[in-house]
Amino acid sequence: MSMIKILFYLMAFITLGSALVVAAGKNLVRSIFMFFVTLFGLAGLYVLALADFVAVTQIVIYVGGILVLILFAFMLSGKEALDKVEVQKNKFISLSNAPAFFLAGLFAVIMLNVIFKAHVDQLPWVIESVKAGNTMPIDGTGINKIGVNLMTRYLLPFEVISILLMVALVGAAHLSRREGANQV
Amino acid sequence: MSFYLTYFIVAAGLFGFVALFTMFGVYAERKVSAFIQNRLGPMETGKYGTLQVLADMMKMAQKEIIIPAAADKILFVSAPVIIFIGVYLGFVALPWGPGLIPANINIGLYYVFAIISIETLGILMAGWGSNNKYSILGAMRSAAQIISYEIPAGFSIIAVVMVAQTLNLQDIAMQQGVLSVEQVKFFGFWDVTHIGGILSWNVFKAPHLLVAFVIYFIASLAESNRAPFDIPEAESELVAGFHTEFTGLQFALVFLAEYSMMFLVSMIGVILFLGAWNTPLPNIGAAKLADWTTGAGWGILWILIKSLGLVGMQMWIRWTLPRLRVDQLMNLSWKVLTPLAFLCMLISGIWRLWVM
Repeated sequence: MSMIKILFYLMAFITLGSALVVAAGKNLVRSIFMFFVTLFGLAGLYVLALADFVAVTQIVIYVGGILVLILFAFMLSGKEALDKVEVQKNKFISLSNAPAFFLAGLFAVIMLNVIFKAHVDQLPWVIESVKAGNTMPIDGTGINKIGVNLMTRYLLPFEVISILLMVALVGAAHLSRREGANQV
Repeated sequence: MSFYLTYFIVAAGLFGFVALFTMFGVYAERKVSAFIQNRLGPMETGKYGTLQVLADMMKMAQKEIIIPAAADKILFVSAPVIIFIGVYLGFVALPWGPGLIPANINIGLYYVFAIISIETLGILMAGWGSNNKYSILGAMRSAAQIISYEIPAGFSIIAVVMVAQTLNLQDIAMQQGVLSVEQVKFFGFWDVTHIGGILSWNVFKAPHLLVAFVIYFIASLAESNRAPFDIPEAESELVAGFHTEFTGLQFALVFLAEYSMMFLVSMIGVILFLGAWNTPLPNIGAAKLADWTTGAGWGILWILIKSLGLVGMQMWIRWTLPRLRVDQLMNLSWKVLTPLAFLCMLISGIWRLWVM
């Protein structure tokens, strides 16, 4: 087995194992910190897939931004609300959990189907573009191409996303404003 | 296999350097603070107190590692390690001289910026794990402050990147001296490609980059939780902030992380704005000072001198300015630094298009 394969299985094991701990853990805070390990494992997998930019972006946005925000929300919420969330009285296998089990089973069937039927190593469009020479060399210029494409071909989606974020920002500012302070 | 061995040696060397820097940093900080406040500082241990840091280290190594009964043990024990590793990983992509860089990543700057954010998580972990109200208040303040100041710091960095047109730290370093392959202009009008020295540093490439450097420096003070932005560990309000409960070696690790962070942000500042490992001496006619003083060995010397100079500035500021209040801190970040940094970014674009 080559070094890359060993690393892939290691990363995949870390990602899946920590994700399981996140889902099954009783302690909410520890789950959040375990999620950090999951995100890091995922970043490692991106690096192995030669997507270095995506890997670093993953760390910037999820670890530096979203995870810290989740922690903030957690630490700012009241103790009573948290206790209610943390206490799980129900047993894992019970009738009330049946719909969840049903849905999870269906998802598993769909995913397995996709994995076995897709033949990801011989997708027609991949083969075609390799034949036509329409591929990107791995020479460290990926980020330049991402930048140029974001500013030319994909400018409209890029701007639409920024408007969406702007709307969220304005909404947050409006919600957090003191009520009745400036009303006439 | 020797390929991998080199990596281990480089990593161990960097760790050794960081530890050594922390030892001297602590001693220097005490002496600088003493000088500024008209005291003597440590004098008893060794000549001029030179053995003080060794004595402190022995004291810390002897101390019992106490874990509070109500603390979350896993988070409490792992927090100092994560805080330190987050900073230590940042050193991977920093160049020390021409050809001397642990890992030449094409998105090095972005990587460093990303990996520093792990420290925030470690601090939150320490605050929550200690189960102490002072710790958690300190951790929340620290996270709020670091997140706010990442924005001006990020935009001042983008201002440089737009002028440099690359995220590779080694390339950015290369552009600021006589080894540059593209034309370097002093303030956009005087071609100094073959003169080099202090004239070709990024701060002197465009007037707005000077402003960007000041913004970056202020934000970097906040990111390393140094005074005047040390409200996370304000000793008159919060005992010691997020590291109140740590003792012995754990406390030593937190301290190591703080000093490494100081050096890391200074070194990034030097690489981006102050010419990285390039010499400050320009070529003057027949005296090719810049050509003579450029090289791997010289590079390490120059970058060390410049970074230590910035660290010295940080210490000087710490012992001169009083601590900012929380609202003043946020006002400074959001109402002054962020708009200014945006402006710098805008000017950078115009500068790159029409002047350079």
